[in-house]
Amino acid sequence: MDFDDTPDEAAWRAEVRAFLERHPPVPEQPRAWQATLYDAGFVGVTWPVEAGGRGGTPMQQAIVDQETARRGLPPLINLIGIGMCGPTVIVHGSERQRQRYLKRLLRADDLWCQLFSEPSAGSDLAALRTRAVRDGDGWRVSGQKVWTTLAHLADFGILLTRTDPDVPKHRGLTMFVVDMKAPGVTVRPLRQMNGDSHFNEVFFDDVRIPDDERLGDVGDGWRVALTTLMSERLSLGGGGTSIGPKPEAVARHVAAHIGALPEDRQVLARQELGRGYVAALGARYTGYRQLSKLSRGELPGPEASAGKLSGTRSARDLTDLAVRVLGPDAATGGAEWQDMQALLPGMAIAGGSDQVLRNIIGERVLGLPAEPRADKGVTFRESIG
Amino acid sequence: MNFDLDQEHLDLAGGARDFLSGSASPAAARAALDEGAGVRPGRAELIKSGYATITIPESHGGGGGTVLQLAVVAEQAGRVLAGPSLVNFARAAVLLEGFPDRLAGLADGSLAVAVIDDASPVLDAIGSDTFLTLRDGTLVCGPGEVMARRPIDATRGLGDVTLGETTDLVRDARPLWRKAERVGRTILAAEGLGAAARLLEMGVEYAKERHTFGRPIGSYQAVKHMLVDVYVAVEQLRSLVWWAAWAADRAPGELPLASAAAKAAAATTLELAAETVIQVHGGIGYTWEHDAHLYWRRAKTDRFLLGDDVAAFDEVARLAMGEAAR
Ligand SMILES: Cc1cc2nc3c(=O)[nH]c(=O)nc-3n(C[C@H](O)[C@H](O)[C@H](O)COP(=O)(O)OP(=O)(O)OC[C@H]3O[C@@H](n4cnc5c(N)ncnc54)[C@H](O)[C@@H]3O)c2cc1C
Repeated sequence: MDFDDTPDEAAWRAEVRAFLERHPPVPEQPRAWQATLYDAGFVGVTWPVEAGGRGGTPMQQAIVDQETARRGLPPLINLIGIGMCGPTVIVHGSERQRQRYLKRLLRADDLWCQLFSEPSAGSDLAALRTRAVRDGDGWRVSGQKVWTTLAHLADFGILLTRTDPDVPKHRGLTMFVVDMKAPGVTVRPLRQMNGDSHFNEVFFDDVRIPDDERLGDVGDGWRVALTTLMSERLSLGGGGTSIGPKPEAVARHVAAHIGALPEDRQVLARQELGRGYVAALGARYTGYRQLSKLSRGELPGPEASAGKLSGTRSARDLTDLAVRVLGPDAATGGAEWQDMQALLPGMAIAGGSDQVLRNIIGERVLGLPAEPRADKGVTFRESIG
Repeated sequence: MNFDLDQEHLDLAGGARDFLSGSASPAAARAALDEGAGVRPGRAELIKSGYATITIPESHGGGGGTVLQLAVVAEQAGRVLAGPSLVNFARAAVLLEGFPDRLAGLADGSLAVAVIDDASPVLDAIGSDTFLTLRDGTLVCGPGEVMARRPIDATRGLGDVTLGETTDLVRDARPLWRKAERVGRTILAAEGLGAAARLLEMGVEYAKERHTFGRPIGSYQAVKHMLVDVYVAVEQLRSLVWWAAWAADRAPGELPLASAAAKAAAATTLELAAETVIQVHGGIGYTWEHDAHLYWRRAKTDRFLLGDDVAAFDEVARLAMGEAAR
């Protein structure tokens, strides 16, 4: 056991630091910033060299993440592409697709989105209805996606469709790369509860997709989607500790305001800070354990979901405290913490809701029996009756 | 960075598990409550095994090992509610650093040492003959008269101690005392980790076996999700215990925060695990014959040792704010 950097890790950290010092990001140009970082070798660190990556280790990527977070830099614009879409293309794409898409994705020359959820398919993703039908040497796609983060800016997306409604629902799915600028694709921004518009509705009206933009075999879309979801876990590595505010920042904020509170409130605030802080440290150090496992070449298992689950909880508790130490003024002021407070409910839903994550951990880690399901042994068509 | 146990630690844990599960058990903890039977494996056996004295230097008859090694063993001790606790051994090894004869006595069992805190009942007072405490900033040592308390958890040997004539050992001993306390908190948390991990196993096992309404109860989300919350808490506690133990050995600057966090998390996690697992068992979980309450007793007792969880959370908050203000 050893928390210190190895000599290699230390050298890498120094390299990253030196670069970040010389190249302050330009917040208004997130794509240019990602390209600059990529050209220096700091994006897609763990991706294979053939895929435009650096063939580095998860620890090297973690060090880049730590150093950028330390400087308070925002996450990369193409995070969904890097964390989810790209890895899916690496595993299931053709040589042509890999050549065409991956490097441009890493440089943010193209932005990507993930077109999975639908109005009637979120947690129950395999219930999706967007249809893809053969049409000569290609496909015609019609249907609707929803909650699609970044679709309003994206150039491409990975799109999960139903190609066969007459088999059980997990089996009749097929994945494609879709050109978001293709005729028939309509993107309508949705307004989130925090007032931002980062996610969208996406309508497909008889959109043509060439067959060579298929990812994986026809009918094998569920397996392809599992690659995406597994990569999502990997990219949430660090045990969910990238969710919400850094506990140190909350402690700083509480320290600055606690003196103005009545004595009994100070005692209470310290209890809550203590509890939130311990939970955040627990998540952080559990993340380090997972990172160490990844570095030894082990695959991320379902236990990685625990980090997102608990990281979201402690982020919400700590943010709640940060708002409350502002006193009644927080009803109208304290924008930074209010914004955070309005962002976090989405984290308990996106990428697997808290309840779904508990099911996953209960069944795959603890080995508890699954619930009986009403959709078992029937075709998709029968299941929607 | 490599944050995981090494093979050497895993081997140590395996050996400790064999020894402890052969010499201690929840049944023994029940007998201690029922009949006032002595704790198992008992001081003599623990010393003979070498596990209790891991952190005493080899030159004084100990194992010359690390706090992390002792923590690995302590987890196994917690699984089977072993007694006496390894906490006093860990603390005394730090406090008696400059006293070779006493250290040797601790290592060979001729001295049975317990540490007295102001605010907490004295752990393993019963069976101890030599007591260490901090009096006006001075570390003192002496014999004492023990009055047993009515135990919630009879494996903890709690009692009140009236000190006899004491010897001053170290003046201005506060920093040393704090360090020992933090090492002690780390080992206490490791014992709590073992107990909580064992409880989780019991709960999961039962949830797979027990059927109601034609289904295993573990398939009901109300049951499943409770157990998942325990699992998450146990794994986070494991991370905090390892971190604190590593800090005790290698990064003294991180020990205050790490040990307070581990102590606090151990108290809340063990309590959550015990209450959850009783609930998961239904009526049988509420019986004297079932093991769950023996772990529950451990939870209800340990939370008050070495300062309670409220104090530990407060300390975490103060440290976090202090560090932030720096
Ligand atoms: C901010 C944000 C960004 C997102 N970005 C994307 C994106 O880029 N691409 C994309 O494809 N999707 C995206 N999503 C969608 C997200 O994946 C879904 O919202 C999520 O999977 C939940 O699905 P749902 O909204 O249909 O809710 P439902 O599945 O209808 O769930 C409703 C409630 O029921 C509970 N529930 C459902 N099933 C179970 C069960 N089996 N057991 C217990 N409880 C259950 C859920 O926990 C939830 O509380 C995003 C969502 C958010 C909030």
